[in-house]
Amino acid sequence: MAHCTSFPYEPVAEIGGGAYGTVYKARDTESGKFVALKNVRVQTDQNGLPVSTVREVALLKRLEQFDHPNVVRLMDVCATPRSDQETKVTLVFEHVDQDLKTYLEKAPAPGLSSDRIKDLMRQLLCGLAFLHSNQVMHRDLKPENILVTSQGQVKLADFGLAKIYSCHMALTPVVVTLWYRPPEVLLQSTYATPVDIWSTGCIFAEMFRRKPLFCGESEMDQLGKIFEVIGLPQEEEWPTGVTVSRKNFPAVKARPITDFVPEINEQGAKLLMQMLTFDPLKRISALNALEHLYFQDEETSNQDETL
Amino acid sequence: MTMMTLQDDLTTAAAKGNTADVESLLRRGAAVNGVNRFGRTAVQVMMMGSWPVAQALLQHGADPNVADRSTRTTPLHDAARTGFVDMVRLLVAAQADPQARDNQSRLPVDLARENGHAEVVAFLETLK
Ligand SMILES: Nc1ncnc2c1ncn2[C@@H]1O[C@H](COP(=O)(O)OP(=O)(O)OP(=O)(O)O)[C@@H](O)[C@H]1O
Ligand SMILES: [Mg+2]
Repeated sequence: MAHCTSFPYEPVAEIGGGAYGTVYKARDTESGKFVALKNVRVQTDQNGLPVSTVREVALLKRLEQFDHPNVVRLMDVCATPRSDQETKVTLVFEHVDQDLKTYLEKAPAPGLSSDRIKDLMRQLLCGLAFLHSNQVMHRDLKPENILVTSQGQVKLADFGLAKIYSCHMALTPVVVTLWYRPPEVLLQSTYATPVDIWSTGCIFAEMFRRKPLFCGESEMDQLGKIFEVIGLPQEEEWPTGVTVSRKNFPAVKARPITDFVPEINEQGAKLLMQMLTFDPLKRISALNALEHLYFQDEETSNQDETL
Repeated sequence: MTMMTLQDDLTTAAAKGNTADVESLLRRGAAVNGVNRFGRTAVQVMMMGSWPVAQALLQHGADPNVADRSTRTTPLHDAARTGFVDMVRLLVAAQADPQARDNQSRLPVDLARENGHAEVVAFLETLK
C-alpha cells in the first residue's frame, strides 16, 4: 500500500465516527471537488499491516476496475504509520452530496412514484449483485449509506470494509442502528450476503412508507417487531446453537404485508416477502430479485440499458 | 480525540443533511456563520442535496458567499457542480453571487456545464 505522499485532500467536516475510525467530507484542492475520506486505524505487528487488511484493500481496488455505475468510486488508498502498533489507512472515495434518507424526506406528499421506486430498487440491486458476485457483502445497508446523485443515480457507499473493521479495530462501543438488521445477525448466528437482501427489503418498504418498517430499540425488541409482520418462524427454521430461544417470543402469525405497505403493488409485495424471508438460505438473491416479475411489469417505461 | 464544539456539531449536522439537528443546534445558540475546527461554516459543508438544511441556515442569516479558504470555491460553485437545481435557486435567491470565481477562475455556471447539468446551466444563464 502506498504511503501518503501527495495528499491534496483537506477535511471540511466530520460526517461519521464509528468504532474503527472517522469519516470526513473533504475537498480535493486540485479539482475543487468533494471527496469522502475514511480513516481506519489498523493494528500492526512486526510484519506491518495484517494480510487480511492488505487483501481486502486489494479486493476493493480490483472492484474499482469494473467502474460499476452503482457503487462509489474508490479514488485512492494510502497508509500512514502511527506507531509500531498502529497504522492509519486512508480510503478516498468519490463524494455524493445526497443520501436516500434525505431524498425520501424531500419527496413531496404522497411520496415517490411507483416508477421512481422501481428504478431506485433496480439500481440498488444492480450494485448489490455486483458486490455479491465478487464475494463482498455490505453488512451495513441503510438509507444513509445509499447515495443518490442529482441525476437520480444510486451509488452504494461504505461497503467492503466490514472485514477490515471487524478484524482489527480497537473496539469502542458505538450505537448502531438495528432497524435494517436481519434476524440471523440479531440472533448472532452465521451470516453472509443474504444480510444485505434483508436490509434491502426493509428499505424497499420504507420507500413506500417514508418511515422505517421495523424500529426496534434493542435486539430482542427488533426481533419481536419483525415477527409481528412475518410471523414467528417454525421451530425447524430457528438456527441451531444460538443463545436466544424461540420461546421468548409470542406465537404470532404472519400478517399481510399490505397492512404495513399499503401502496405496494402485487408483484412488489411478492418480491418484498422474498426479501423479508427469515431463513437466509431461502431468501432471494440480488440477481434473482432483478429477474423478478416486479421489474417486468408494464409500469416501467424506462427500461434502463446498463443500470 | 478533539472536543466537538457546537460549531463542529452544526457543520456535521449540515453535512449529513440532518435538518432537525441543524434547527435544534441553532436554537441552542450555535453561531450560524461560525467556523468548525477545519475553518469552515455550515453553509460551506452542507449536503447539497438537502435544501431543507440550506433553508434553515439561510433563514438564520447564513452568509452564502463565503469562499473556501484554499480553493475559493463558494457554495454556489458546489451546488452547480453537483447539479442540485433546487439548491442553486435557493442560494441565488439568498444573494449568492453567480459571478464568483474560484482559484482556477471558474464561475459556477462553468462547473455546471463541465458536469453536464443542463438545467442548472440554463437557470444560471438567465441571471446574466
Ligand atoms: N462516498 C460518500 N459520499 C458521501 N457521503 C458518504 C460517503 N461515504 C459515506 N458517506 C456518509 O457518511 C456517513 C458516515 O459514513 P460511514 O457509514 O462510513 O460511517 P460510520 O461511522 O460507519 O457511520 P454509520 O455507522 O452510521 O454507518 C454515512 O452515513 C454516509 O451518509
Ligand atoms: Mg458505516
